[in-house]
Amino acid sequence: MPVGGRKQEPAAFEKEEAVVRSTISGREWELPGMWNRMFEPRVLSGYTSGGFAKISAQPGGESLEWCYGCGKCVPVCPVDMVGEYGPRKIHRKVQTGMDLFSSPDLWLCTTCANCLRVCPKQVNMIDIMPAAREVAVADGNVPNELQDVFEKSFRYGNALGENARRRHAWAKDAGVPVRVLANDPGPVDVLFYVEDYWSYHPRGKQAAQAFARVATVAGVDWAILGPEEKTLGDSQRLAGEKGLFEALMDDVTATLDRYEFARIVTPDPHGLNALRKEYPKRGHTYDVSHYTQLLAPLVDRLPLVNRIEKKVTFHDPCYLGRHNGEYEAPRRLLEAIPGLELVEMLRCRENGYCCGGGGGGMWLDGFTANHTSERLSERRVREAAETGADILAVCCPYEVSRFEDAAKSTGNEHLKVLDIIELLDEAMGGKDAVASLAASGEPVAR
Amino acid sequence: MSNQSVVVIGGGPAGLREATTVAELGQQVTLIEKRSYLGGMPIAENYSNLTPYFMQADEAMGAIISHLQSLDGVTIMTDTTVTACTGEAGNFSLAVQGKDGPASVEAGAIVLATGFQHFDPGRETQLYGYYEFPDVIALQDLEAMMKEGNIVRPSNGEPPKRVCFVQCVGSRDRQIGNEYCSKVCCGIASKEAIEIREALPDTEVFIFYIDMRMYGYWESQIYWPAQEKHHVQYVKGIITEVLPKNGQLLVRGEDTTMGRPMEVMMDMVVLSVGMEPSVGTREMSALLGVKQNKYGFVEAVNAPLDTVTTSQAGIFAAGAALGPADLEDCTSSGGLAAAKAIGTIRRSMAVAG
Repeated sequence: MPVGGRKQEPAAFEKEEAVVRSTISGREWELPGMWNRMFEPRVLSGYTSGGFAKISAQPGGESLEWCYGCGKCVPVCPVDMVGEYGPRKIHRKVQTGMDLFSSPDLWLCTTCANCLRVCPKQVNMIDIMPAAREVAVADGNVPNELQDVFEKSFRYGNALGENARRRHAWAKDAGVPVRVLANDPGPVDVLFYVEDYWSYHPRGKQAAQAFARVATVAGVDWAILGPEEKTLGDSQRLAGEKGLFEALMDDVTATLDRYEFARIVTPDPHGLNALRKEYPKRGHTYDVSHYTQLLAPLVDRLPLVNRIEKKVTFHDPCYLGRHNGEYEAPRRLLEAIPGLELVEMLRCRENGYCCGGGGGGMWLDGFTANHTSERLSERRVREAAETGADILAVCCPYEVSRFEDAAKSTGNEHLKVLDIIELLDEAMGGKDAVASLAASGEPVAR
Repeated sequence: MSNQSVVVIGGGPAGLREATTVAELGQQVTLIEKRSYLGGMPIAENYSNLTPYFMQADEAMGAIISHLQSLDGVTIMTDTTVTACTGEAGNFSLAVQGKDGPASVEAGAIVLATGFQHFDPGRETQLYGYYEFPDVIALQDLEAMMKEGNIVRPSNGEPPKRVCFVQCVGSRDRQIGNEYCSKVCCGIASKEAIEIREALPDTEVFIFYIDMRMYGYWESQIYWPAQEKHHVQYVKGIITEVLPKNGQLLVRGEDTTMGRPMEVMMDMVVLSVGMEPSVGTREMSALLGVKQNKYGFVEAVNAPLDTVTTSQAGIFAAGAALGPADLEDCTSSGGLAAAKAIGTIRRSMAVAG
């Protein structure tokens, strides 16, 4: 666009939406970004090693230029299924002159790690993306919706911008007492790290309450931090806000230092990932597991008296499965439920298809929609529906809301989305039955 | 009466390894070389460093030459060509023309190690302007520059800021008649790319290719370090033509993974020329009556488990006379040819009693 006689290359984000005006009628049409991109110049001429040099200068960015173009990553990249993407393509675009730091491509990767699983050269997008995004964050070149989440996480200690004092409000309606360490600071076996979406999201709160009941009946000695809990911030880190992640870690570890617990259990695979992989790098080591890993060894002692005569398919969370190697615990819990028939989707376990929420994707739905034909969660829900399942079972707090929205938008309302903990709770008789069982004071598994 | 001597025609890597092996096994050997010096193409074409170990070419070839010279029973005839051959396995007689006039050499077995020549990139079907543009050069031209320690654009004597290699020049081409892969050019181009990056750290180096054929250990010896450590840029898509533009070279082709045309400015273009049978290989094969394949290389009639036996009893071939070969191929077939030649001689002696 010439502005005041000066040629100015439009910024990447401004190019996205275009308005076309008819020279005859004067009518205007709004066109989505993909139309705009169709008219990019055909001839490539910006070939350079400079893009790799800039990305490699960031610790973690070194391996992008190792790509030799085999293309194994592209068919397993969830984003390529709904758009023009994939690590190999990013490598090629950078080599042909694309500035990754200001490209929309920077924000589409969900860090699901399926590319790394198949890459012969170990090009590691899980390290490259946060490293490159850190540059964009420092330059203030971040999509608004993500910037908003960074600010909320910084200000309130959670991605939803909710009041910290209401972090354990869900506990009131759990039907069982929930011990909050701030009020009752003695030693405890399991510190249950609830994380943001089980603390605040309406559907997450229901899962948290179900957990409270099941854990109590199972005889687990557990407690939560309550208002002192802050997000572990792993997705903020992967979205490029390493500084925010480290600031949160300082707060979190200072809080944890004040209490005596044997292990941490969390429902959030992203939090699990931070505690398992990132915290130890900075000298903070804990015994950490996912709630499915806590309950799977206890499942035989749970009173699963209600039959659930349903066909259920299970979505492997990327950060529980590929990132942290757990595929069995969720399945053991589901298979223990009487009447329940577990059916697998085409892409499952190591090859599980990403819901789109990882690596900051949870907070980029608007941005992503402009660059893809549909949401990853919609793609995944279609796959779940193809199995003929009645229920899509999940065990990552991001997924319930993503998949419920996707079930509606794809016309698959018949598919119910439930966390595994909700299914266990139901198999034990539901809220009132489990609450009274817990109140009977005879925990079954102590 | 059979003859106990092996005659080797050609003093390059294959011939030198062959002659050395014969002498080490205690048999008489005569090495006949057309040039005035030994060492073959690495010396004749001024190679800088050998692929894939980066050994300095003069030193490496000098070492094997002096070793051969130190062995007993070795006769070396430089500036000498073979003009006729009569006789049969166990009893050949070669007429030769040397510095001091014609002579005769007797042999029980003959090994042909007459090698290859570089494809001439100026042949008319090539659109790269090798003879038109001074800054379009071939692999061996760059080798010679690197041997001098002076990598510059021939047009102006300045170090190039952007260099590219164009692979498969004269190879894999039905129109030219060379339907084979020349096997070594991917590795040599990558080796030279590394050397440019080391000598000129600010110079960007690109390799345009159809397929990168980095067989065996070359993958991790050359290809991966070139890419990961030396930041050489590999681009899948071959260059169709080179055009002069604003004192630089515009290379045009298709970027096949992007599915789009590319037009890239370069300061210097290096053509990765393939291998063809040398004039010596063609002439000596005809003179000895050895069957050649359709490309003019010597045909190994018992391949693949015997790579050196030719259509003529008692005559063996080694090295790039047999087809595209790297140095390790050449020295390996040289060793086998030595064993086969000595076997022929021993069997002839046993028959002759």
